[in-house]
Amino acid sequence: MLRLGTRKLLDRSFTGLGVLSITLLTAALLILLAPMCLRGIGAYVFQGTVEFRRVLLEKLQRGDRDELKRELAATARARQPVFDALLAFQQELDRMPATQRRKLKPEFEQVRAAVKELLGPLPGEEIPLMMRSQYGQTRWDRAQVKIRKILFAEDYDFSGGGLGRKMLKPRATTFHGTALEPLFAYVEHHAVAMLAPQWTFYGRFLTDESHDAHFFGGIGPEALGTLYLTLGAILFAVPMGVIAAIYLVEYARENRLVRLLRICISTLAGVPSIVFGLFGLAFFINTVHLSANKSVLVGALTLGLLILPTIIRASEEALRAVPEAYKQAALSLGAGHWRSVRTVILPAALPGILTGVIISMGRAAGETAPIIFTAAVSVGKPLTLWQTLSQPTPALPWNIYNLCSEHVAVDEIRHVQYGMVFTLVVLVLLLNLAAIIVRARISKGLRT
Amino acid sequence: MRTGMMNSAKSSLMLSRSANRNQRLTRWFGEGFLLVVTSLSMLAVLFILIFIARDALPFFSWTHFKEFFVSTAWYPTQNPPSFGALSILFGSLLVTLGAALVAIPLGLTAAVCLSDVLPFRVRQTVKPVVEMLAAIPSVAYGFFALIVFAPALQEHGGPMLAWAFWLVVTPFLALTLLVLADLAAARFAENRQSLVRGLVFALLGAMAAWGLWKTGRRLHGLEISSGTNALNAAIILGIMALPTMVSVAEDALQAIGRDLRMASYALGATRAETLVRVVIPAAASGILAAAILAIMRAIGETMVVWMASGNAARIPEPWYNLLEPVRTLTATIAGDMGEADQSAGSAHYHVLFAMALVLLLFSLVCNMISERMIARTRRRLR
Repeated sequence: MLRLGTRKLLDRSFTGLGVLSITLLTAALLILLAPMCLRGIGAYVFQGTVEFRRVLLEKLQRGDRDELKRELAATARARQPVFDALLAFQQELDRMPATQRRKLKPEFEQVRAAVKELLGPLPGEEIPLMMRSQYGQTRWDRAQVKIRKILFAEDYDFSGGGLGRKMLKPRATTFHGTALEPLFAYVEHHAVAMLAPQWTFYGRFLTDESHDAHFFGGIGPEALGTLYLTLGAILFAVPMGVIAAIYLVEYARENRLVRLLRICISTLAGVPSIVFGLFGLAFFINTVHLSANKSVLVGALTLGLLILPTIIRASEEALRAVPEAYKQAALSLGAGHWRSVRTVILPAALPGILTGVIISMGRAAGETAPIIFTAAVSVGKPLTLWQTLSQPTPALPWNIYNLCSEHVAVDEIRHVQYGMVFTLVVLVLLLNLAAIIVRARISKGLRT
Repeated sequence: MRTGMMNSAKSSLMLSRSANRNQRLTRWFGEGFLLVVTSLSMLAVLFILIFIARDALPFFSWTHFKEFFVSTAWYPTQNPPSFGALSILFGSLLVTLGAALVAIPLGLTAAVCLSDVLPFRVRQTVKPVVEMLAAIPSVAYGFFALIVFAPALQEHGGPMLAWAFWLVVTPFLALTLLVLADLAAARFAENRQSLVRGLVFALLGAMAAWGLWKTGRRLHGLEISSGTNALNAAIILGIMALPTMVSVAEDALQAIGRDLRMASYALGATRAETLVRVVIPAAASGILAAAILAIMRAIGETMVVWMASGNAARIPEPWYNLLEPVRTLTATIAGDMGEADQSAGSAHYHVLFAMALVLLLFSLVCNMISERMIARTRRRLR
């Protein structure tokens, strides 16, 4: 038998364990949300350079033309020494002895490429085809990365063995004594003048179309696609789910069929989401030919099936929570069964049903696996309502995956990825918050 | 309005008085319509089973059933292709097991804490945390795993693991030692007990500390070659499965009721003893159901494992090495369906449906068991 002291200690440490697990839970949530929120806001609020304002004016016809012209003139003056240094070194390179030229030329090409990435095409150059090479860095944080790329060469130190350590080698020492040397100090100290960063609020990130594979512009088509899919799923699942719940609560007698129905509903809730996706492909597209290929309609139906059990359960609970007295009062006033359901019970249960619907909306908006084969594409234009019947759409969850694992330049568009995740998570959490508020109202309102 | 009410009052009166055929027919049709709509979910389950099985069966008749479950050679696009899914099945199992190891103990303690330990007000603020964890979309978890967690794990994996190990194991070990010392001391005479207790505690404590230090150092020195591995996927999946575990287990614990707890307290048990010896055993089937549901959530999850598990179709070496990349069923389906010809019936297309069938049957069986468990708790409590 244990001592009383030990038993007390065990009891207290058990409490501690519980509190620790709750703390861990909360910490997990915070660790998860912090980077998404902090860096996600960066897609909307950031230091935009003059290049950003140029993109806005030239591609989206937004902003003040004269103001930008003045700004461009100022930054062009600030940039001139860089271009001059590049040109001077180019000429110096031709006069150099062959061994030195061979050594310096590749690194000079790197510097030139980095300058082009930072500031856009050099003056007198042909306008490149890709939009991403037509402009310099639009964001100050990305510009600083590029400046480092101009100033330092990456090298690996293998002296420690293994994979080697990354080392940064200043290029100024490599080009010591040449015409290029002043460029590095100049870039380091005059970057602000060259790019004129300003705090920008880019609220239309949410609605703008993307340009050149998300290098510029916003996430409009994705947001719209998610909206279509979510609303479509709700339109399909809510009437079905509520009717099923009414039947199960108000009309069903406890027989074998009803028991089977209940088992089926809970089974449907347990089917993995990817299986829903395959089913949508095999049934709606390959068998019924609802649309020739992926479409918003098929995706919405698949998502609707996915959230159907949640809606049935929530509605069932809400209907059961309506006090028996309400129903008896309705019946005693002479209303029939259906009439009392329609005019008394359903309105009383509505907030509860709404909670379930809102939470399911969040679920439908965030699910990825069911729409991979049924509705989602990587790039696309925003659809009109009519097109949703036959056309696939980009959608936030799918494009988050796509941009961070299949995009050509994953690192360059980090802010777009974070912005998308932020938008999706905020959408879902706001929906949940709404559900919590609605529920708090019910527990106050529905008392006998 | 008023006439309408009169009418309905009249009609219901008439119905109760005599069998008005018209009324009964309407009623019958109305109820039939409701039943038909309700049956939609049954139809959906049936159709899902039929259509997944329909597209999976051609695979099993073409190639050997055996190859799928025994061979580890997964080369679906080579000529001739081979469809050995053993390593993929194993990957799913490994990741799910890891997730269960994270979610079940943590979820159970959190559920116990929520239902019995915390005061009401704190509980009201913690519940939304659990709900938010459940609401965050899986792709956001996957994004976190790939962009934030994987690089951190790759660069500081060893120290992170060591600290986590120390943090988790040290308190448990200390308590176990305390109990052991107490039990050992109980065999001796009253006046010698404190001496024996101190001696045993010091001896075992020194051994345990040495073991902790050694293991921790080894973990500290670990080099993780890639951050996207089974461990990453398992941890994130575990966190995803936590809300399911917490809420279902908490319901089960709440369902036990006050009587049992009060009886235990009356017999002189502490709160910890009441919970561990009385409440948790009584709620065992509900907790098991919670664990099964959490496991189902983990094995059916796609985006996190697709993004974070590394997607290498081979069995780690040795098999329990969580630091190697693995590939799971769901990730294979999601990743390969694009390559496989989606409309024509290639073998690659069908093998993915076979995987979906395996997943589906697994979740059906799990669901059935968990339903049984929950029903059993309910019946016993009645």
